[in-house]
Amino acid sequence: MENNPGTKTINKTEAGRRAGVILSVIACFVILVICIRAGSVYISLRDLASIVMSHITGGPLPAEVAPMMDSIFWTIRMPRALAAFLVGGCLAVSGAVMQALLQNPLASSYTMGVSSGACLGAAFVLVSGISLPFILPVTSFAAGLLTVVIVLAFTAVIDRMSSNTTVILIGMVFSLFVTGIMNFLATLYSDHYKRLWLWMMGSFSARNWTHVAIVLPVAVICTLVVVFFSRELDIMTFGEEQSKAMGVETKKVKILLIILSSVLTGVSVSIAGVIGFVDLVAPHVVRKLFGPEHRTLIPMSFLYGGAFMALSDLIARTVLSPQEIPIGAVTALIGAPFFAYVFFAGRKKG
Amino acid sequence: MSLIELKNISAGYAKTPVLKGVNLTIAEGESVMIGGPNGAGKTTLLRVAASLLPYEGELTLAGSDASSMRRRDIASLIALMPQTQDMYFSYTVGQAVMLGRYVRMRRGLAGPTAEDKETVDRVMNDCGVYELKDRLLSELSGGQLQRALLARTFAQQTPVVLLDEPGNNLDVRYRAELTDYMAAWLEGTTDYNGKKIRNTLAGVFHDLGEAARICRRGVFVKDGQIVADMGLQEAFNSKVLNEVYDFDVISYKRAESTFWNS
Repeated sequence: MENNPGTKTINKTEAGRRAGVILSVIACFVILVICIRAGSVYISLRDLASIVMSHITGGPLPAEVAPMMDSIFWTIRMPRALAAFLVGGCLAVSGAVMQALLQNPLASSYTMGVSSGACLGAAFVLVSGISLPFILPVTSFAAGLLTVVIVLAFTAVIDRMSSNTTVILIGMVFSLFVTGIMNFLATLYSDHYKRLWLWMMGSFSARNWTHVAIVLPVAVICTLVVVFFSRELDIMTFGEEQSKAMGVETKKVKILLIILSSVLTGVSVSIAGVIGFVDLVAPHVVRKLFGPEHRTLIPMSFLYGGAFMALSDLIARTVLSPQEIPIGAVTALIGAPFFAYVFFAGRKKG
Repeated sequence: MSLIELKNISAGYAKTPVLKGVNLTIAEGESVMIGGPNGAGKTTLLRVAASLLPYEGELTLAGSDASSMRRRDIASLIALMPQTQDMYFSYTVGQAVMLGRYVRMRRGLAGPTAEDKETVDRVMNDCGVYELKDRLLSELSGGQLQRALLARTFAQQTPVVLLDEPGNNLDVRYRAELTDYMAAWLEGTTDYNGKKIRNTLAGVFHDLGEAARICRRGVFVKDGQIVADMGLQEAFNSKVLNEVYDFDVISYKRAESTFWNS
């Protein structure tokens, strides 16, 4: 493919790459602190640190920190910022994996129908009025995975070789079909329309430590396993047949990685709804900065996706405060022009 | 020992059969030119021999039934250089050649060993791409890319190498250098499963003269079947070539050679 994005990749030395990684980690930490502090209530860095310390060590809150500050920052802002960061990270890793496996820089697990499936699952719960603890995230997660399984099964039946083009086409067709059912439901049950709409655009409003506790283990475990398969991912960008010739068990690796990627997206959608662009923008930017090798690409995508999502959430909750903008709108409003800029600027010179 | 054995192999794409009941045995140390007209099934033959396509019949690789072998085992026996290569992301030449070491490298996150690095440097040097090692594959010319892919194939360090038109896009100097390189490589051995195996090569070539500098045996494919299998020297003066290509190859080549005499 001639118009290959990322042809401007700087070939960093190992030392340069290491410095870039360290800088990125520091930048992410700073961004998280900014996202936690920004808002209508001000807190000094010192007070924030003593709130965090008191929760970690289990010690008492210092007398000069008002209890209200503790509930604002520890109970509301911190878990919200962390949830946004983790979800952003999960989506970015999931995008990077799907792009490598499907050999398509524009692929993501949304292409596979995960998000629309998850959305439909959530919609069923909302309109049916069933209320059990965690029924919404669990159902949407299961529905998302089920959609991927159906897409893959369908592909296998239609195309014995399960070529990437067939996977992408069937994924798109299914996505649109499921979204159709979703819109049908939304019209039929118009009193739930607002909630459904929020789900479709995503939000981190009122996310708490429970949400963080759900995403964190999934994010860490799935990302680590993906990183372990970095070299296989590198090889698979050169095509399935070539990967086999080079010794990769492509079928097993592909299925495992598609499942991991879908789990990452599924858990994200179940917590925050459907949020686009992070899975495209983050891996793309990281490829430009650090090159395409997955042992760096995957962990860096997690950080960049996380930071992008945390900042987007900051914008979502502050710009029209006290009203909130759906975060999917923010990521798209920033992501689309940014992506176009990066993509086309790289192409013109290349 | 026979390294590749195809028994009554049929294979194809979708509903079009390409190979129809092919029998072929390639023994240790052999050098085989696969010839034949466009669309005869030469590439399919190479792909099946590396067990990359579904097939009917029996494929035996170094004594084992290919259908029960792990990819890893096949890839430590056979490396295949494809005719075309998908490239969607920008790897450098050095990175891509290192990926050829996959079956030889330690698993997971462990980095390349000194031996990996040394081998990669050596094959890049041999294929004339060492100076290009930090360039992106996507920025190379056709000939440069061809040499990078050859380097990746030899980095795999297998006793059997299958090449699909390795001379494509190469200028005359690189053609000559690579021909010498392959001929020298054929003199050596490679470890496979703890045993030293004499290097073995099969390749699709369109230029008989070039092939003759590397290969001793000629296998000619037409309409999905092997129509001739003989010493390559014999092939030069045999009517078989004319029949394989439906064309007076011998007169054409003789006429060409008169240009050089004056």
